[in-house]
Formats: sequence, structure tokens, C-alpha cells
Amino acid sequence: MENILEIKELSKAYHGVPALIDIDLSVKAGEIHGIVGANGSGKSTLMNILFGNPIVRETGGYQGEILYRGRRIHPKSCGEAIRLGMGMAHQEFALLPDLTIAENIKLGRERTWKFTDRLFGPKYSFIDRKRNAAGAAQVLHQLGLDVDVGIKVINLATNTKQFVELAREIDRRDLQLLLLDEPTAVLSKRDGLKLIEVLMGMSQAGLGIIFISHRLEEVEHICDRVTVLRDGRVVSRYNKGEISISQLARDMIGHRVNKAIAPARDLNTRPVISFRQFSVDMPGEELKGLDLTVFEGEILGLTSLSGHGKLALGYGLMGLYPAAGEVIYKHQRIDQMDARANIRKGIYVLPDDRQGLGILPEHSLADNIIFTGNQVKNLFAKNMVRPFGFLDQKKADLHVGQLVDELEIKCASIKQKVRELSGGNQQKVCMARALTVDPKLLFVAEPTRGIDISAKEKILKLLIDLNRTKQTTIIIASSELDELKRVCDRIAVLVEGKLFKILAPDSPEVEFGLALAGEQGN
Amino acid sequence: MKLMMNNGCIKPPQIIILIFLAVLLGLAYFLKMDLAGLFNESLIKLVMNGVLVLSLIPMLNAGAGMNFGLPVGITGGLIGMCIAVNFRLAGWPGFFMSLLLSVAICGILGWIYGLILNRVKGREEIAGTFIGLSLIPLMNYFWTLAPFQNRQMLYPIGGQGLRPKITLEPYFYNILDNFSLVKLGPLEIPLGLLGFYGLICLGLYLFFRTKAGRAAMATGENEAFARLSGIDIAGARLLAIILSTVIAGIGICVYSQSYGFIQLYDAPLAMYFPAISAVLIGGSNGRRAFIFQAALGAYLLQTIYLLTVPIANEILVPEITEILRTLITYSIILYALLYRERQRGSGHEN
Amino acid sequence: MKINAQDYKFFNIEIVVPIVFLLLSFGAWQFSGLSGAFVLNQVIIRFIRDGILVLSLVIPVVAGMGLNFAVIVGAMCTQAALLFVINYQVAGVAGILLVIFLSIIFSLLAGLAIGYVLNRVKGKEMIVTIIIGFLANSIYQLVFLVGFGTFIPVINEEIILSRGIGVRNAVDLSMYRNTIDKLWLFKIGEIEFPLFMILVVLLFAGMIYYLLNTRFGQEIKAVGSSHEKAEIAGINVDLIRIKALILSTVLAALGQLVFLQNIGMFDVYTAHMNADVISCAALLAGGASIKSAKIRHALIGVFLFHTLFIVSPQAGQNLFHNAALGEYFRSFVAYGTIAFALIVNIKHEDKRLVVSPPL
Repeated sequence: MENILEIKELSKAYHGVPALIDIDLSVKAGEIHGIVGANGSGKSTLMNILFGNPIVRETGGYQGEILYRGRRIHPKSCGEAIRLGMGMAHQEFALLPDLTIAENIKLGRERTWKFTDRLFGPKYSFIDRKRNAAGAAQVLHQLGLDVDVGIKVINLATNTKQFVELAREIDRRDLQLLLLDEPTAVLSKRDGLKLIEVLMGMSQAGLGIIFISHRLEEVEHICDRVTVLRDGRVVSRYNKGEISISQLARDMIGHRVNKAIAPARDLNTRPVISFRQFSVDMPGEELKGLDLTVFEGEILGLTSLSGHGKLALGYGLMGLYPAAGEVIYKHQRIDQMDARANIRKGIYVLPDDRQGLGILPEHSLADNIIFTGNQVKNLFAKNMVRPFGFLDQKKADLHVGQLVDELEIKCASIKQKVRELSGGNQQKVCMARALTVDPKLLFVAEPTRGIDISAKEKILKLLIDLNRTKQTTIIIASSELDELKRVCDRIAVLVEGKLFKILAPDSPEVEFGLALAGEQGN
Repeated sequence: MKLMMNNGCIKPPQIIILIFLAVLLGLAYFLKMDLAGLFNESLIKLVMNGVLVLSLIPMLNAGAGMNFGLPVGITGGLIGMCIAVNFRLAGWPGFFMSLLLSVAICGILGWIYGLILNRVKGREEIAGTFIGLSLIPLMNYFWTLAPFQNRQMLYPIGGQGLRPKITLEPYFYNILDNFSLVKLGPLEIPLGLLGFYGLICLGLYLFFRTKAGRAAMATGENEAFARLSGIDIAGARLLAIILSTVIAGIGICVYSQSYGFIQLYDAPLAMYFPAISAVLIGGSNGRRAFIFQAALGAYLLQTIYLLTVPIANEILVPEITEILRTLITYSIILYALLYRERQRGSGHEN
Repeated sequence: MKINAQDYKFFNIEIVVPIVFLLLSFGAWQFSGLSGAFVLNQVIIRFIRDGILVLSLVIPVVAGMGLNFAVIVGAMCTQAALLFVINYQVAGVAGILLVIFLSIIFSLLAGLAIGYVLNRVKGKEMIVTIIIGFLANSIYQLVFLVGFGTFIPVINEEIILSRGIGVRNAVDLSMYRNTIDKLWLFKIGEIEFPLFMILVVLLFAGMIYYLLNTRFGQEIKAVGSSHEKAEIAGINVDLIRIKALILSTVLAALGQLVFLQNIGMFDVYTAHMNADVISCAALLAGGASIKSAKIRHALIGVFLFHTLFIVSPQAGQNLFHNAALGEYFRSFVAYGTIAFALIVNIKHEDKRLVVSPPL
């Protein structure tokens, strides 16, 4: 069978950080090609390049060759990719919220009146809404969904949206290559099976499919070939029949020899905080009924594939997103997820998105470090009427100076703007702010993302020091599994917004791989 | 102050303005105009309009954008002055009573305005524009129907309500302008006026040093950060909006005592675009402004306005000054809007 | 899957706002003491004058750009075309055709430029269109008040101020006055229906309706619903937005042409002023919002808004013996409607988003 898609030595870097390195990949007509990989393995970058996402070009393009039906292509926009006969079902859905189901499915291919077709050409021809609705309903029926196609997409539940997203692609006659990004993630097992049936039927009709999924069982079941990506490289490739779930899981995580920074301990302490059926409505990262207990003085790792909720825990507790469920902190129920009140109680959250949430870029280093402590705990305040009190500059500068030395923050002076610091030093500034607030329970999200190796080590060491010297309980949400394994006492794996398993840091890689994929290991 | 200076004041709009100013000064010199007199007047113009420009700072820094709803604060100040004049309070008591009433009324107006703007977060500018625009006709009702007694304020026979231009001659005309006026040869330095301006600058400066002021500043720079740090976002913004409105009220009192008239009805409409463009000319990026920028911008813009009038009178078409003024004003605002969004856009990609 | 009930809530802006306008107009009409026939005749005239301008606002709203206050740029394009043609003294049908041709060319270019600018300020289009409108007005004044007689050679001395520089405040259009206003004039009792002109306005309405129901129209709706999603659905968002703005500006230019020829003379420096605010308020009065607008909103809105506009000064005179109060009332209604629409809409938007997701 001919290759529909052939990728040769494809490489791509974002701001100097490699995201894909020498990828070779081919998809034949009628083949379902699975792609498996953990976070940051390069799956989405690969999809972005193939589907012509403008961000690729904006960040400097890519190296290598993409051959589509034997012709070299350079998709510059999604529109171009679509015109070539590619289709994609996006994980976040490319559905227009204010358009109806039928309008979304038929977008760009609406049936029009013959008379006006001849008069003005198809683009400016009058749309025959009835026929479009009937067509859309028919496609959805193929997928086993009977729904009023006049409903706006914004009013649909997530799993229905997934069907609509797929229906749009299935409805295309010119489709030759279909990219599916986690198409079953939001579906129940039964709906997922239904979908898989349809996909297999389509591939038999000659369609090439790239199937990205973390459900390894499905991958094993339907893929003709599977490619495993890790850290932007192809690490292994299996043909149908050779695929084994545990092998995929092992390849995904890889094996690294890492020395634990912190020696293992036996902690027999009381719970400090417990979550019961805790849900957070953070778009794209929802928690749906988490049950988790954290013990005093421990370092708990929190990991999941992206989109499965590890980041939402701290934000939900601070009231950044609507949250529901029960939280017991030090034997007391937390009724309101209010940042101010919770910081006073000794809880603090360091965000994953430093630029967006973590710093005041135009403020000085000193202002950044003392901000929260001063605002919430009234530290460094001169004795004056509360809201209009001035800052005790001397005391604050002294404190900042100490922290800068202690954390080895590289800066020209403590008055330097944080914007001008490197990522690692910005993260240290965040840490210094947390130290100033002096919490009893600290949430840290992705503490080492986007910073250089020496700063990474320093940050990890700081977290351990904080834990060991001040008995601060720390929860680290991170997708860097090897780092978690080096510092944590326990590692909780979340799948689909729920606690899936708690593993010891020295558990074998394959167990982590299976847990992340939501597979019960043996 | 050093920190403010090296915040890069020299951008295309500033260059154009400086060139324009240099050309005007050159022209003025060749036309043998009274440069000392112009300088004296420029100082008065600075404060006359400068307080209104300062009033934009709290809102800008709290992230509520350029205050296109400036007529709200101006209206408050006008009511305050009208009440003081109604009771025929002249001299210092009149002026202080005007200020006091303005502050009180603007406090209330600002509170309401702030509550509304908090509901339209992110779109304050367009909402503020139309809140200001719809307040004007509402206030026209007030000016027409409110039971003011002072005959000097009312329309002469045949009209109803207050007149559009109420003279302050018998009340507190030029009371600040002439306070501690120091004469140095041909130069006249209005120390009292400048002192009053300095006082407001100092007050603003100190406000941003307080805990509440710093919270407002952080809210403007990174709202999500402030929220995560336990700041009451709505409260911080409300405080800044009230402060902006109050300063605008004081600003119109200062303006009116210099100008000599209380201008009612549609007059506030002519004031907010020049004020906004002034702070932008001073080097603000439309998201954050320093006191220094507001002062510099007010001085540059007002000096240009001042110079264009006599120069254009020498030329054949007098309208050209007004057209050029508006052209400058709107170009600068448009430039700032475009430039600001582009910056924000590129910030997201990182 | 019964989730579409939301659109038919009890308190629905789309229905409430027109009803409020209806009640206000009715009340003001009662106090004004004007005869129904007079009001109706006036409203029909305003419908013809203002209809196309209001219709020109629909497409940008559907494209998600909010109210296009830069329609006054389109209006100025037409006025510029008129002044140039009058200056070069092209009379008769040739003159009219030249005016139409030039105003389309001018507004096309202006629309292109504005669309390009607005693509850089996504999400802040409205405030930028306001400033663009003011800026264009300054440039317009510069050209016609200063440019004529200095850079631009004067051929027709009649339109120039006595000092030799600048166009007069009022220019007579009698050389183009034709009878299309009175074409197919029907009279039912005291009420006059200039059927031809009504049909012209309805023709434009039909054209926009048609356009919004083509694939091109679907693309506009898609862009209006979400830029990001439309982009990954394969639509060239920036291009669609520019096209939407060009359409809007050209329609506004044609609308102003109908407006001016109906009046028969024009105030060079003020005829276009407030065209934006009045048109926007009229559209909103018909039940549109800054997120969604339909043809029927424009048509109903023109009727409701102008009824109120016509009767309120007289009502003010009768109620308070002061016509100015009626004037204030109508400017309050114009601005207030827009302010209200902005506040209500943006609040709704906020509820939907809850908190902006970090990156």
C-alpha cells in the first residue's frame, strides 16, 4: 500500500529548546498508526506541524521533510492542511460555540442551492439549511448519536462535543489522512468502543489515521503500528501483534538512573489536609471528585498526563476556579476557597505559569518577594492605620537581602525588575516569596519547568530544606516524574481528574507508565 | 524619579511631539512673540489641565484602562462648584468649599462608576466612554431643573436653569493662580498654583506607597497574581476608580478657577481626549503611568496648544490650530491603543 | 439532551429592549400631541435615510467585532466623493454615477485600512473604531477646510468660503436632486409611502441576509464565535474580518449617499457627526446586542428609535415647556442605550468565562 504521509528527519525547537528531534514516521492508506508518549514527548508539536498551526511558523518553522502522497508539503495554515485532504479531531475541539451542531459539522462544505451556485459560485451561494441539517443528523446517527442538530454547541456536554468533532471529519468526502488527538479521553468505555468501530470501518475504506491516545488498551486493540515518543525522539515502534501494554508503558517513561536527593523516611504522622470528592472546574485541567489525604511533614508528588487535573488542586483551593467538595485542613472544614483566608491559615500556592500568575514582571525583585507577606500577613508594615500603612523599607530590604544570598538569586540589585531575570531566578523569587509567607502547607506546580539544570537542582534542594527544617508539608504537582521520584515520599497519580493510585517513589517505571495511562497493573 | 526617567520616554510619538514643539518654538521666535509671557502662561496651563491628567493615573495603574469616562469626575466637580457659588461663597472659603463638596460628590459618583466598571472588567474603556457620554445629557437635566438661586448663575430672562458659562469673577477667579505669585523680571512663577499641584502629586505618590496602593498597582499589572496573593481585586479597583474620580473633581475646580468660568452642559466632552493624550505623550504605554509622565505630557501638550493659537492667527486659516490639536490628540491615542495591544500580544507568546 | 431552553428565558434582552422602546415612544408620542400621520411620515423618511447605515452595522457584529463606530468613515467617504465631483462640476447622471463610483472606491480603501488596524487590536475593536472615527474626522476637516484652495485647486468657486480657502459649511445638492425619493409614491390617507426607496432599503437588507446565509456568511459567523477555533477550523480569520469591515464601510458610504440625496443639501462638517451613535443605538433598540445582530433588529430598531427621536423634543416642550429637555432626553437615550448594551453584554460574557485560564 502507498504511503499517504511520510515524515523524514523532522526537528523542531521552541526558543532553542528542542521539542522534536529527527522524527521519521510514515502512514499508509488504510493504516491506523498509534502515537504514544508522556507529557512533553512532542506529540502535540508533531500534530501542530502536520496541521499547519501558525504557531510553528511564528516560532521559526521546522527542519526536515514532510511528504504527502509523495509530494513535499509545507502546511502554513490549518486551512491549507484541510485543503490537502487532512482532517484533525482536536483534543480541545475545533468547534464554534455559537454555531449549531449542523453548522459546525458542515462548516466550509455547506450544501447550497444549485441556482445560486451557477449565479455566484459556491462560496456566495445560498445555503440549503434543511439538507445540511439532514446530512449532519445522518452522520451523527452513524456514530450512534441522535440529537437535535439545531442546538448550539456551547450548550453541549463534553462527550457530545467529541462526537460532533469527529462527525465533522467523518462527513468529509475528500478526507485522506485523519489526525486524532485523544479522541476517546472524554468518552465512556462503551462510547469509545462505538467510535473505534467507526474508525476501523473508515480505515478499511482506505483512510490513513494517526491515533494519539493514552488508553494503551485501545492502542493495542486497533493500531496497525505504534510509535512511542519520548523527549521529542522516536524510541520504539511496534507492528500489530508485537504490541504489549507494559512494553509501551515502559518505553513511554524510559529508564533513568537517578539518585534520590532525599533519603527515604517512614512518616507516621497525622493528616494535615484531606480532600473528599474535591472538584475544580479549571478549563482543560478539571478535577472531578478527588479523594486524597496528605500527611503532616511529607512531600507528596502529584502527577498526571496533561489535562488530567494535577494543576487544578492548588488553584481550586485558592478560589481561582470554582471548586466543590469537602476539604478538611487541620481538623477544620474549609468552607470558602478564599486565597486571603487560606494564606492566613498557612496554605500557599506557587503557580505553574510563572509569567501569568507567578510574578509582577514590572515590579522589583524586593517588591515581588515581600508582596504577599506584606499584603496578607501585614509583615514589614509600619505601625499605622491598616489599609493605608506604609512599608518599613529598611526591614523589608534586610529580609530580601538575606533571601537573595540564601537562595543565590543572581541579580544586579534587589531593585532590579523581575522581568529582566532568567527563568530560574524568577522561580527562586517565587520561592523566596513563599518563604516570606512561611506556610505550613505549600503547593508547588511545575517548579522546574523552563529553567536551567543548575537552577533546577537548587530549587529541588530548597524544597527539601524547607520540608526538613521547618516541617512544611509540600505538595509538588509536576509532570517531571524523575524529579518527583527523587524528592517525594509518595507520588499520587491522577487520571481523568480522580486519584488513580499512590505509588512509592522507588516503584518501577512500568508501574508509573501504566498508572498514568489509567491501566491497572498486575 | 531616576527610575521613571529611564523607563524609555523616547518613542515615535514623543519624537514627533518634540520636533513639533521645536518647530513651533522656532516659529514663535521668528514671529517675535513674547516668549517670557508664553512661558508664564505655560506654567498656568500645566496646572490648569495637569490635575485632570493626574486623575487618570490611579485607574491606569489599577488596570482599569484609560479613563474615557472622565466626564463622571468632572461632573462631580462642577456640581460642587455650583453649590458653592450658589451660596455666594467667595475667595478662599468658596474655593475650599468647592473642593470639599467636589471630593464628597465625586466619592459617591466614583463609587457607583467603579461598581459598574467592575462588572465590565477588560472593557472599561468602551463602557466608560458611553457612561460618560450618557451622563452628560442626564446632567443637562440637572443643570436645567435644579433649584439654584443665585441670579448670576441663571439664564437671564427667557431661559430656564443654569447658564452654560458661569463667571467666577466675583468668587474665586484666579485664586490659586495669584497665590504667592513670584515675579522675576519678566517671568512670573505661580508658586501657590505649582505648590497645590505638587501637593496632589505627592499625595498620589504616597498613595502608591501604601499597602492599598501597592495592592491596586499589583492588580493592574497582573490580576491573576494579585488574586492568588489574596488581594480583593474588586476592592482594589474600586478604590483606584474612586480616587481617579475624586482627583478629576479637584482638577475641574482648579481648571475653572484659572479659566474664570464654570462650563456646564456639553463642555466636559471636550476635556477627556486631551487629558488622555497628554498622559500618553508623557510616555505612558497606556497600561501604566507615572506621575512624572503625566506632568511632562501635560506640559508638552499644553505648551503646544498655547503656541499654536497665536501662530495660526498669523496664518490665513485660523481653524488649522484646532484641527491640528485634535489630529495630534486622536493620533496619539490610536497609536497607544495599537501599540499596547501589540505588546500584550507578543507577551502571550512567551 | 434538553438544553436549548436557555434561549427563551423570561427576561430576554432581545424582546425586552424593543418593548421598552415601544412603551417610551408611545408615552412620549402621547405627550407630544403630534398627529399619528405626521409621526409615521417622519419615521418613514428616517427609515429611508438611516436604514442602510444601520444595516451596515450588522456584519461587523456578526463577525465578533462589536459595534463599528467607524461607519462615519464610510459616511465621510461619500461626502468627500460628493465634494470632489461637485468641485469638478460633473453634472447630471454622469455626476451621480461618478459619486457612487468614487464613494465605493474611497470606502473600500478606508475599510481595508480600518480592517487591517482592527486585526491588531482583537477584543478592543469598539474603542479603536471610536478613535478612528474622530481621527478621520480631523483629517476630513483638514482636507476640506484647509486643503481646498491651498493644495487642491478650486474649480467650482460656489462651494468655497469667501476667503478662498476651505469648503463652505453647507453645500447645495440641487444639481443632483432627482425624484427617486418620490418614485412610486403611494398615499394612504395622509401617509406617504415612497415605495421605491423603501424597496431600496429592503433590497440592501435582503442582500445582507443573503450574504450571511452563504458559505462566506458561515465563515463570518464562525469568526465571530471564536477566533482561535475558527483558525483551526481552517478559516483565514484576519481576511474574513477585513472583508467584513470593508463591506460595512462600503454599505455605510452608500447609506450616507441615500441620506444626503434625501435631504437635498448637506452640512459639510456636521452631516456625518453622530451617524455612528444614532445608528448603533437604533440597532440595539431593535433587540441586537454587541455579540449578535440580525437584519430584523436593524429594521425594527430604526422604526422604534426614530419614533422616539421625533416625538421627544415636542414631548419635552409640552411637559416642561422646554424643548431642550426633550433634546437631552434623546441624546441620553442614544448614548444610554449603547452604555446599557455594553454593560449587560460584557457582564454576560464574564459569566461564561468565569476566570481567564492561565495561558
